[in-house]
Amino acid sequence: MSNRMDTIWSKLDRKSTAIAEFTMRQYRTRISTWAVLGAASVAIFLMLLFYIEAMNTEIEAIDNDGDSFDTDGDGYPDGQERLEGTNPESDQSFPDWVEPDPPEKWINEDDIDWDTLSDGENYVGQDDDGDCENLDTGSQRDTNDNNRECDVVVTIDELNGTINIDADSNVDEDPDEDKYGKEAGHRAFILGIGKFGIVYLLGIFLPLFLATGLIREEMNDGTIHYMLAKPIARGEVLLYRMLGYIGITWPFIIGLCITMALITGFTGPGDGVFRWGDIGVWMTIAWAAMLVSLVYGTIFCGFGIIWKNGVILAILFAAWELGMAFVAILSGGDSSIRYFSVIGWGMIIVDSGVAVCWPDNWQLIQSGLWGGGQGEENWLGEMDYKPLPGAVPLDTFSADSNLGVSSWLAFVISSLVLVFQGVLSWFIGQSIFKGKEVD
Amino acid sequence: MMPDMTQHGKAETKDWKPVANTPVIMFDRVSKTYGRINALGGVSLGISGGVTGILGMNGAGKSTMFKLMMGKVKASSGAIRLFGTDPWKNPAPYSRVGFVPEHEKLHDWMTAFDFVTTFARLHGMTRDEAAGEAARVLSFVSLEDVMHKRIGQFSKGMRQRVKIAHALVNDPELIILDEPLQGCDPLARTTIMNVIKQLGAMGRTVLVSSHILHEIERITEQIVILHRGRVLALGNSHAIREMLDQHPHKIVIDCENPRELAKNFVDLEEVTGITFKTTNKLQIETKHLGEVHKRLPEIIVNSKQLVTGIDNPDDDLQSILMYLTGGSI
Repeated sequence: MSNRMDTIWSKLDRKSTAIAEFTMRQYRTRISTWAVLGAASVAIFLMLLFYIEAMNTEIEAIDNDGDSFDTDGDGYPDGQERLEGTNPESDQSFPDWVEPDPPEKWINEDDIDWDTLSDGENYVGQDDDGDCENLDTGSQRDTNDNNRECDVVVTIDELNGTINIDADSNVDEDPDEDKYGKEAGHRAFILGIGKFGIVYLLGIFLPLFLATGLIREEMNDGTIHYMLAKPIARGEVLLYRMLGYIGITWPFIIGLCITMALITGFTGPGDGVFRWGDIGVWMTIAWAAMLVSLVYGTIFCGFGIIWKNGVILAILFAAWELGMAFVAILSGGDSSIRYFSVIGWGMIIVDSGVAVCWPDNWQLIQSGLWGGGQGEENWLGEMDYKPLPGAVPLDTFSADSNLGVSSWLAFVISSLVLVFQGVLSWFIGQSIFKGKEVD
Repeated sequence: MMPDMTQHGKAETKDWKPVANTPVIMFDRVSKTYGRINALGGVSLGISGGVTGILGMNGAGKSTMFKLMMGKVKASSGAIRLFGTDPWKNPAPYSRVGFVPEHEKLHDWMTAFDFVTTFARLHGMTRDEAAGEAARVLSFVSLEDVMHKRIGQFSKGMRQRVKIAHALVNDPELIILDEPLQGCDPLARTTIMNVIKQLGAMGRTVLVSSHILHEIERITEQIVILHRGRVLALGNSHAIREMLDQHPHKIVIDCENPRELAKNFVDLEEVTGITFKTTNKLQIETKHLGEVHKRLPEIIVNSKQLVTGIDNPDDDLQSILMYLTGGSI
């Protein structure tokens, strides 16, 4: 090692690592630390069990267009008769030149075939089962009147963030519920457990139990006197104690997220053995949880310094953050009150990570919300679309970062905001600590 | 209440220099109030060199004084200087200070060596330096054999010595010990007293607080008596001892038959009065405490009485305080 590096390291290796190391060893000797980390792991892994069960359960296929049914009882499903050009409503008319298909062949036979969509009008869709192509007149084959037969028009207005889907009859009308539901359910689970379970719950409970007493417990025990009787500023003590806190919580968060990524990556749907595409999302979840738990930790540690019952302030704060977590998740990124919270920025990190790692996510949501076929007429007199299974949960847990910048920039901005919040909390905390009389 | 944000200054020891030609500790009309309680009222003191005993009963202001020196609390008025620097505003002088708090709680999960090493590093030492110094100070307080055992397994006296060792690790010029002998067994007391005396002999400034005059007398002659937040007396303990000898003392003896035992004291000229407190307590009054204590074992053996306890209920400090305050403590 060069002489200069040696100097820098040995300087760092004195006060800062002494306190950080001491703090980490102190955590390790406490049963409460292991209880908190253990309980958190158990809770997350219990959720994982539900996920694994869901992934291993076949979602019941629904025949959205009803063409697996043999209306006239001639042995040929309606879909096959339409494809072959015979009359599905007459038992005299059937395609005797082919063998009748089993009815299952006409369930989930017309999947959603959309390529990557872009801003403006997109003409997509494919009539896999031929029940659009075989219609008699051109107008029947072009019910959305765009002069293209048997297609789907997806109109995207990126400026206003709206999407309109207008399909010709019988195009992409009978998608595979299981395939879609597994994919959407898998993503919804990652986002739900990630945003709410890891970024919020873990992000707030770890500091609540581990950081609130970081200075306060030492004050109560009187052991803080050993630290404060040294030539070290109180602000430094707070900073290095936080380093020790990070030294315990961050590896835990990273380890937990890696474990989750591995389990869901192997269990989740997909053609490959492992879902590499999810790794990035798990990483942003871990990163968001790390930053959020750092900011909360600094704030809660400050609460502990201010008042011996600082945990009460911490719980009140956690309640506010819980509200903000719901706002941030449920508003889909539309609410600006979330900017006045810690968790709101944590969610933006995940949202921007999702936008980068799963660029097709919003398209998956929209096609799923639309793809279940037409439902009831709503109070506006418009036709509702029935969502495919998993589309609503995925829609709920997905959000747009809505910062008006690119996803990468949103990621950087929200990370910086959280770092700034952490520094500010530290600064306020150390100012209070300096003015605090320690008996 | 708004936090006081007046504390400032970096804890960089290399930039900090003690002010020349000032006492190690300076108190200039320092007062400290906690709400309506006056813990310290206008104390002025300057201490440099040697061992000084701070005597006072519980609540006299000893600990408050130390907390002010250690920048733990802020003076309500007046000025405190540690090597010429205000300790509330700047922790830098602590590079030359060793502080032994009175709090019993220690990090029981650490070994004595780890504890001393960890806190030595807060003085800016590297790992290796700290380890070397820790071994040195732990053997100075005679703990070298057990330094790799957990503090939780230590006796009261050993714990007290660990605290002292940790305070000596930076080779401080000023050592402050808050009630270091409290609760220690006789052997530990002797060790600790010797350590303190040695430090004094090494030319360090040592402050020791206690509420027991005997203890302080065995360590130093230079004493400060605090009472109700004020300096009541300051000076040589021999002079104070002389005043004290003019003052009557009580000795209470627990025995089976006080009346039988009392007969043996009647003829003693040093004894000025005998009282029967309860059915098995005998109280003797004397102005020559030392003389009576010297003869006590012989008298008890000769009387063939079973004695279960001997106590000086008005401990010496109280007597001094009674004397100094004219009887109103």
